[in-house]
Amino acid sequence: MTRPRNDILQGTLVLLILRTLAVQGKVHGYAITDHIHRVSAEQLRVEEGSLYPALHRMEQEGWVKAEWGTTEKNRQARFYSLTAAGRKELVQEQERWTRLTQGVGRVLRFA
Amino acid sequence: MSWLSRIGNVFRRRSHVQEIDREIAFHIQEATDRLEAEGMPPAQASQEAARRFGHQPTVRERVRDVDIYLWLESLLGDLRYAVRTLLRAPGFTVVAVVSLGLGIGANTAIFSLLNAVILRSLPVARPEQLVKLTMGSETNDVFTNPLWEEIARQEEIFAGVFAFSSQRFNLAPSGQARLVDGAYVSGGFFSTLGVGAEAGRLLAAADDQRGCPAVAVASYGFGRSEFGDAAHAVGQIVSVGGQPFSIIGVAQRSFTGVEIGRSPHLYLPICTEPLIDGGKGALEERSNWWLQLMGRIPPAGSEAQVVARLGAVSAELFRATLPGDWSTEGQQNYLKRTVTAYPAATGLSEVRARYRMALMILMAVVGVVLLIACANVTNLLLARAAARQRELAMRMAIGAGRGRIMRQMLTESILLALLGGGLGVLFARWSTTVLIELIGQRGGQVALDLSLDGRVLGFTLLVALLTGVLFGVAPAWRSVRLDPQVVLKSGGAGATAGSSTLTAGKLLVIAQIALSLVLVATAGLLLGTFRSLSTLSPGFHPEGVYLAEVQFGSLDMPEEQKPVVAAALLERMRNSPGAPSASASVITPVSGRGWNSFLLTQGYHPSGKHDNLVWFNGISDRYFATMGTAIIAGRDFTGQDGTTGPRVALVNQALATRIFGKVSPIGKTIWVHNEQAEPPMEVIGVVEDAKYQSLRDSVAPTVYVPWRQAEHFGSLIYEVRSNLPPAEAVAGILAAAAAVIPSASLEISTLPGQLADSLARERLMATLSGFFGALALLLALIGQYGTMAYNVTRRRKELGIRVALGATRGGLVRLVLGEVGRMVVIGLALGTLATFAGTRLVTAFLYARTPLDPLTLVIATLAVAVVSVAAGAIPAVRASRQDPQSVLREE
Repeated sequence: MTRPRNDILQGTLVLLILRTLAVQGKVHGYAITDHIHRVSAEQLRVEEGSLYPALHRMEQEGWVKAEWGTTEKNRQARFYSLTAAGRKELVQEQERWTRLTQGVGRVLRFA
Repeated sequence: MSWLSRIGNVFRRRSHVQEIDREIAFHIQEATDRLEAEGMPPAQASQEAARRFGHQPTVRERVRDVDIYLWLESLLGDLRYAVRTLLRAPGFTVVAVVSLGLGIGANTAIFSLLNAVILRSLPVARPEQLVKLTMGSETNDVFTNPLWEEIARQEEIFAGVFAFSSQRFNLAPSGQARLVDGAYVSGGFFSTLGVGAEAGRLLAAADDQRGCPAVAVASYGFGRSEFGDAAHAVGQIVSVGGQPFSIIGVAQRSFTGVEIGRSPHLYLPICTEPLIDGGKGALEERSNWWLQLMGRIPPAGSEAQVVARLGAVSAELFRATLPGDWSTEGQQNYLKRTVTAYPAATGLSEVRARYRMALMILMAVVGVVLLIACANVTNLLLARAAARQRELAMRMAIGAGRGRIMRQMLTESILLALLGGGLGVLFARWSTTVLIELIGQRGGQVALDLSLDGRVLGFTLLVALLTGVLFGVAPAWRSVRLDPQVVLKSGGAGATAGSSTLTAGKLLVIAQIALSLVLVATAGLLLGTFRSLSTLSPGFHPEGVYLAEVQFGSLDMPEEQKPVVAAALLERMRNSPGAPSASASVITPVSGRGWNSFLLTQGYHPSGKHDNLVWFNGISDRYFATMGTAIIAGRDFTGQDGTTGPRVALVNQALATRIFGKVSPIGKTIWVHNEQAEPPMEVIGVVEDAKYQSLRDSVAPTVYVPWRQAEHFGSLIYEVRSNLPPAEAVAGILAAAAAVIPSASLEISTLPGQLADSLARERLMATLSGFFGALALLLALIGQYGTMAYNVTRRRKELGIRVALGATRGGLVRLVLGEVGRMVVIGLALGTLATFAGTRLVTAFLYARTPLDPLTLVIATLAVAVVSVAAGAIPAVRASRQDPQSVLREE
């Protein structure tokens, strides 16, 4: 499988999902990709092959919980939402991301 | 996702995969909608959406892998962590695992017995289709041969019906008997059960005809042990009851008969019974009840149908087999009987009837032992959780959820329980041989398959898991309720949870004391019962009495010759080396055999229906001298009584009182009120009361008649009281028999052995309850000691200060023992209440004592008290020995 060029950096996907859920509340997988795609001004596209394994892994970690519900189009979908542990994780991931980008930025500026 | 549904993911593959597929399908649908909204034609849109999604099965598998892998990984992580924690505290682990192993092992062992005796189905095809036939009640299950032959004619009711009679066959042609379990079976036995042949052929309808040839089918085990292997057995000749039988086949290896606890080694056709028992045998006798009947429900039918159809033909069956020599009243009752059927998937069993209740009680006993073991482990875990507070608080502080910690703690306790279960299976395996010895049955070992089958292992696994949860939940729950802040700040072990840990620990110790008192008291009652029964005076002196049974029925000589030979043999035995006292009788005490009839005399009117039902024995002269029973009035028989002249009888005191009241029975005339008219007898003496059927029963009214007067002359048992060493005594008996009847084969046993056999169930109950009582006490002792030791360690500082302030060592010991004393008193008080309720269950097993026997209760209470106080005293004394200086300097 060839990777699309606008694929999301490994490890940031979790952060993006956590952030999306923190903003959107209870949403399904399609809405998550849609949200990330839209908010990033179509710069980022979440590959489905990565999204669902990631969601399930986060569920195992206890960061998100999932339940079946009905969409406004009356379709059955699996809705994800943040747990308390997920909120804590989001804070940590954000800090980590900030440190990383700052670090990378410094390197690019002074190296 | 809950823990349970994660386990589900591993096993419920399909629904899990379906759920992932539904999620993917939804995603593609939404994407399709979007593309359509952007103007793409519907068919193209759905294709494009699917293309953009990527390869669906790959995504599905990746999602599934994540779910399962992470679950397994976290489980493995928990396990690894649990193993490491257990290894770090080897003392704790060993005590916990051994406690649980003993508790679970006891449960597994008793359950495997329960499984073999009560639960397991017969090893035949479709056992659930089998029924046993009875007349009315479930236990009224023996039939006469004429009745069986009538029922066999009704074969269209069944998909096969057969009769059988469990026997012990004598394989020795002469000399000392060699007995094996065997059975007479009808022609349909093997075909109805669906049992195949390992070699040769099995019995069929054609083999079971009057005057049939002497053929036999051997069990697989018999074929192997006697002839090397099954194939070699076919065509061999074995002597059964002195008659040559040729083996025509060997039954399928897995088949062990239809009676649990007794597996026949030789199956003989019913028609060969007269060959072995001599004369005309029992085939035509309409009052000889010796056959048990089983049938198979037709595939399309039901038990109810079989019962209904049997009911419909009953009148006809009994009319055709009416015993002509019965009284009118007896005949009328006979005609009113009906044949019915009961489920028999688990086979028939005398052992089951005798041991069912005993096994249930033992199961309850081991359940309590396991509870005590659980209390121990809970206590240890609580103490350890207190010691691990810092570790747990640290883990919680760095972000471990409470659920995660609880799961970890539960993994540890379940791992402990599974280790205990594993050890328990080892204990159980080892103990089953001991159990089989204990469950003995008259004249041999009981044949039970105590292999640990799936049901037993499943039971053990379930018990282990349940105990793991039972003793693990409280410590796990407590450990997550701590506030990490407080624990970490307090710096030391045992801050907040310390005191409540102690209270919980004390409550558990109190419960242990109470429960062990129940078990010790129960054991005391059962041990006392066994002791009473084995030391009571039965009305005769069993020590030194040998019993030699001779089957005259199958001896190859004219009938009228047999009594003459029997009398000659008695004379010969009396002239053996050591000149023993010897006699002969039809029945020996507590042998399981009995003979009873209704007795009448002039001017006597029985007040109850069974008031004049009395027991009989046919005996020779000097029977009472040999047995050690006193003749109170009148005279003994002479060698001539019963041959010619008037009929005479001796009666025991119980009978004299029952029938004659205060009047002397000597010289009175008595007669048997039977279906047949029997000639009257004159009472010539009264003898001391002696036990007849069992040691437990009160002495039954008994009539002794000369053996020649006895109903039928099949076998006689010679009693020989000898002071010689056993081997010489037996040799003397065999030599006498060889001299008088060279072709006779003798079954030799001892009277004390016969009495001991009759107490097998009491011995089993006494031994096991005694063992489990001791085990309970030991476990309680460990628990008590552990709790007090922990308590004293926790109070080191306080105790040190007390010593520094001038408390004496005695004072300290008293202080700690006071605490122990309070727990013991409360525990014993609760235990006494529980004992009142619990020992009532064993009422039916007790002899000469009530369930609340004061002496037993006092001794049991004292025993538990002494052990408990001793367990508390050791830590107390140790506490008083410590040097206050060093304790206080530690701070």
